[in-house]
Formats: sequence, structure tokens, C-alpha cells
Amino acid sequence: MSEEIKTIQRSSSRAPKKPKKSQIPYGLALLIVMVIVGILLTMKSVTLGLLWLFGSSFGFVLQKSRFCFTASLRDPFISGSTSITKAVLIAFAIGTVGFTAIKYGYFVNGLPIPGMNYVVPFGPTTIIGGILFGIGMVIAGGCASGTLMRIGEGFVQQMLALVFFIIGSLIGAYHFGFWKINFISHSPKVFLPDYFGWFGAVALQLLIILCLYIAADKWQKKKIGA
Amino acid sequence: MKEFTLDCMGEACPLPLMKTEKQMEKMEVGDVVIVQIDHSCAMKNVPEWARNQGYNVEIDEVDDGEWEVIIEKTK
Repeated sequence: MSEEIKTIQRSSSRAPKKPKKSQIPYGLALLIVMVIVGILLTMKSVTLGLLWLFGSSFGFVLQKSRFCFTASLRDPFISGSTSITKAVLIAFAIGTVGFTAIKYGYFVNGLPIPGMNYVVPFGPTTIIGGILFGIGMVIAGGCASGTLMRIGEGFVQQMLALVFFIIGSLIGAYHFGFWKINFISHSPKVFLPDYFGWFGAVALQLLIILCLYIAADKWQKKKIGA
Repeated sequence: MKEFTLDCMGEACPLPLMKTEKQMEKMEVGDVVIVQIDHSCAMKNVPEWARNQGYNVEIDEVDDGEWEVIIEKTK
């Protein structure tokens, strides 16, 4: 952005810029520490090493792309902008194809399908949880990943959000039993390939994502005409 | 031509954007507002919103993680 030609006239004189300290040495030092930690973790267990690698890479991409799940759901209502919404939908579409490929690979080889314990029952608790989480993330200014990413950037308000995020999780865990007995145990577990077949499930999910994408695009055109 | 400064330091998304929207409503054509922010998310949505509105936008990184978004009301 700094290469942009300055065209706006400012009456107030710009504050003299502090000479910026180069952050590259810190970055290199951090990279070395992270590689060492990664090697140590891999010696202990390869899975831990992989988790470290993917976690760090995910955080890096998240910060550099200013990707924000909260903004993807909030900005359409506040500013009418759906650019992040569309980015999230594209990510979902890519994720759908990738995860199905992994799961199908295990399925055709007759192996147990990985990640099946994330297929959780769908019911009123999904909606209640969604509303609670939605209110919380807009007030806190970030969802879980966004909050953690901005703590890394040094944003103090989000550190406070993390404290209450943990308190909220503890309260949630405390009366999880109530929800489990009254709602979750009565709700159906839906794994799309069981109902539509593997190809049907992927096609259906991609079709829904495409519809949402078109809706998001139309929403922005209607709201701000751009 | 007047110039306003909007201090949004330490404020998380979406507050900077909402404050900017309110400020722009009050301003006359040709006025300039300098929005000071240090939230990386606001760094994306404030300039994007203003560009979509058709205003002139400039971004200045004042310090590490501190920005000034300068918006000129053009219409």
C-alpha cells in the first residue's frame, strides 16, 4: 500500500515517523525456535510434530490473509460486504472435496473412516449454540481462531476475550450433561454419504455452497452495488 | 475543507467501521477523516467499505501494527 501515490491533501502535518526497528531478526530467531520445537516434538511423536507444523502454518495464513470467520458472517449485515463470506465459502468447498477424498480413500480400502466422532447430532442444540456463539464472537471481535491470532499480534482487548472464552467454555462443560440428556441424545446423527451416497453427498454440499455463494454475491450488489 | 481525526485505538471489529460510517454521514463533500486503528481486521474492512462507497482512501502504517486510514469524502 505504501507505494500508492498520495493524492489526499492533509492539512495537519503528518506526525514525524519514528524510525522503525527491523523485525526481521526477531522473525528469524522465532523461526529457529519453532523449528527446534518442531524437531523435539517429532522425536517424541510424529503426530505431535505434524500438529505443530499445521497449527503454525494455519496461524500464519490466517494472519497474513486477515481471514476472519466472524467478519464473514457479520460484515454482510454491517457494511453489506461479502468478500470474506465468499472466501469462507470457497474454503468450505475446497475442504469438502479434500475431506471426502480422505474419507472415501479409507472407505474403499475397508478401513475405519477417520474423523467420524466429529459427526455430531444435529438438533435444537445446534441452533442454540450457534446463537450463543454468534453473539459472543461479535462482542469479542473474533471467533476462536481470530481471537488467538490477534493475541499473537499483541491486541490486548482480545487477551481479555480469551480469559472469558475459557470461563465460558468451563461453564459450558459444566452443564453439558443437561444438554446431552435432554437434547443431544434424542437428535439424529447425519452423515450425508449414508443418505445420498458418496458422490451425491459431495454434489449436494457443493450445490448448497454454490447457492450461498450466489446469494452472497447478490447481497453485496444489492447493498452497496459493487 | 475540514479534517477530522477518529481515534479507534484498542477497539475491535466492527466498532472502527461503524464509527467511520457515522463520521462520514456528518461530513461534507471534500472533508477528510483520519481513522487511527490498531486492529488488523479493521485494517481490511474500513478501507474496503470506503472504496466500495467510492471515496478516496489511503493507508499509512504509522508504526508496527498501527495504521491511519485516510478517507476523503468525494460525494
